[in-house]
Amino acid sequence: MDFRVTTALAVSMLLLAGCASQPQTAEEFRRVVPGAFMAKTETFEVDRSFRDVAETFQRRAPECLNVRIKTTSSTSTSYQVIVARYTPTVTVSKERAELHVQRKFESGVLKVSPEPEGGYYLLVADAYPLEKNRTRVEWFGPSRGYDALVRAVKGWASGENLGCPDLTKI
Amino acid sequence: MRTAFGRCALLGAVGLAAGCSGLKPYPNTLAPNLQIRTEAKSGSVFSSVRADVGIYRVDPQCRIEYQGTVDLDKPTVAVGIPADRPSYLVFGFSSASFLGGTRSSISQETLLRPRPGYSYDIEATYKDDLYNVVIREVHPASGARRAMDLQPLSACGRVAERPAAK
Repeated sequence: MDFRVTTALAVSMLLLAGCASQPQTAEEFRRVVPGAFMAKTETFEVDRSFRDVAETFQRRAPECLNVRIKTTSSTSTSYQVIVARYTPTVTVSKERAELHVQRKFESGVLKVSPEPEGGYYLLVADAYPLEKNRTRVEWFGPSRGYDALVRAVKGWASGENLGCPDLTKI
Repeated sequence: MRTAFGRCALLGAVGLAAGCSGLKPYPNTLAPNLQIRTEAKSGSVFSSVRADVGIYRVDPQCRIEYQGTVDLDKPTVAVGIPADRPSYLVFGFSSASFLGGTRSSISQETLLRPRPGYSYDIEATYKDDLYNVVIREVHPASGARRAMDLQPLSACGRVAERPAAK
């Protein structure tokens, strides 16, 4: 096992959490991300009804994000297998539609802090209804390296691209 | 021995050069009822993406049996699967990077029970690390199309009774 890689991954997870313990809930994640290194939050509006955005989250998240990804890497001196289980959760109320994406490393990565059920939070996206059939979306997540995931969630919100992110690329 | 090794090496090289996946080809002997339109772009000159669809027979107990794979290496590929009984389709997108030699693959699966006489227009796309499979049922007389939800294997009991529509 290449401990340099696993250590780097573990450290990056810690940095995302502001070198404190990992967020155990989506609400903690929302609080931690704005001040964390290599993390980002962004807000945008879409010309689409809240109901449509929520429905798209509910339909696409399980189809696209409920996956297990196995990554194998090898060099002349090392061989590593990482298995990551992604779990999406969508909750919808009159006030807000929430999409949570969690990742649980099933093998190949050291866990250095308590992990919530379903894995560490990777991204949280919230949609809020606005007037005139518009919707405001705010997402919290990593600032780099997860471009496909962020573009997918934005595409689901806008309705312009309903594609799934290739999670083997993140 | 040397000759046999040479033949194997030559066959392997030819297979690789032809982009051979090494998977069992689907016989594709039935009248085509699926028109699969594929667009697969990696978005980088240093990598490539190829698409294929694995076809599985689904028995009444919802067990699947691999029938073969069709390479989606042309813009449109016609495929025939049995009508009026469910099949399980696994659309695979495989990426290869020329730098570093990394490979990865991801798939999107669905059950599909074609109605007799109907055809199915399927779009399989991979672009900029986003992939999608969209299925539309085409009415034989009117040509009217309706989008269909992808159905997981766990929906087998329901799909065996009737096709799902959006």
